[in-house]
Amino acid sequence: MMWLIILSMAAVVFISRHLLLEPKLPLRLSKRTQSFLGYSAPAVLTAIFAPLVFVRDGRLALGLDNSYLVCALVATALALLTRNTLLTTVLSMGLFFLIH
Amino acid sequence: MPSMNSVEPQSSAPQKAGAFLRGTLAVLPLTLAVVPWGILAGSFALEVGLTPLESQAMSAIIFAGSAQLVALGMIKAGIGLGSILITTLLITSRHLLYAMAMRSQISPLPLGWRLGLGFLLTDELFAIANQGKQHKFDPWYALGGGLSFYLGWNLATLLGIVAGQSIDNLGELGLDFAIAATFIALVIPTVKKPSILVCVLVSLTLAVVCALFEVQAGLLIAALCGMTSGVVCARLTGESDMPGTQAGRPPEAGAAHEEHDA
Repeated sequence: MMWLIILSMAAVVFISRHLLLEPKLPLRLSKRTQSFLGYSAPAVLTAIFAPLVFVRDGRLALGLDNSYLVCALVATALALLTRNTLLTTVLSMGLFFLIH
Repeated sequence: MPSMNSVEPQSSAPQKAGAFLRGTLAVLPLTLAVVPWGILAGSFALEVGLTPLESQAMSAIIFAGSAQLVALGMIKAGIGLGSILITTLLITSRHLLYAMAMRSQISPLPLGWRLGLGFLLTDELFAIANQGKQHKFDPWYALGGGLSFYLGWNLATLLGIVAGQSIDNLGELGLDFAIAATFIALVIPTVKKPSILVCVLVSLTLAVVCALFEVQAGLLIAALCGMTSGVVCARLTGESDMPGTQAGRPPEAGAAHEEHDA
């Protein structure tokens, strides 16, 4: 059963990644569609991290006792100041494990 | 001039190795940052009741962190295969957007390349392949980034499987903050125009609202609304150039970087 779950999930994930790379698929992207897709990375990545940071135990957590939020703000400041991915992730994660 | 019928780059071995290495280095911060998350995936799988082999296979065959963790939670709750697959489809549907955005670059490549880069197409690979100054897309660069990230994810999972057998309450350490830190570090530098800021703020707000109301398709709803807001904002304010991908760029910008054959 577990292997059935693993293999069928793998199929779903792989198809979603590969399908639109397939040249046989008759699909031509207009310039408008391409500019729309240019926004996909910031939009999707934000939609993944935002609930992790702002929602704890199913509730909105905007207080300073939410270490996810505090460290996310620190990460934002670090990213703005340094523009360095490694420094931003390592320092904010270090702070997180200190205060969490 | 080399023949134009094959799109596969005819560059020399050192050029390929160089591009492969540049890809590996570009993704390295993300590979390191994904380690806590991989540890979580490995240890949580054991906790849910998977064998070590099944736990590792999840990372090796599925290779999709968020889908793996959500599915494990559902397995733990005793939810059936159908619901798990629909949820997986919702979480992974963002890859349709990535693939569409990279279609012009990857679809002309031979089948092996398409299958390989398709399998390796994660949030992180998409981020490094579309970041910074738009150089000519190099499949060896993408392969270096994708493969080294795959290796890192699987080693971290292995670490989680080994550690999970000896450390209790690994899940309460807050290892999932790693993903927030990484994605913040990826998103902030892309916010170079007002329209991208609008896109990010709309996506953020809607994702939080959807999470509070437990809307399963929240990720997709938030992302699509964010993207739409960005486009609308750019049109209203008359922004010239588009973010991220090659769209809207004059052809000569890429031609200057064309690689010459050895």
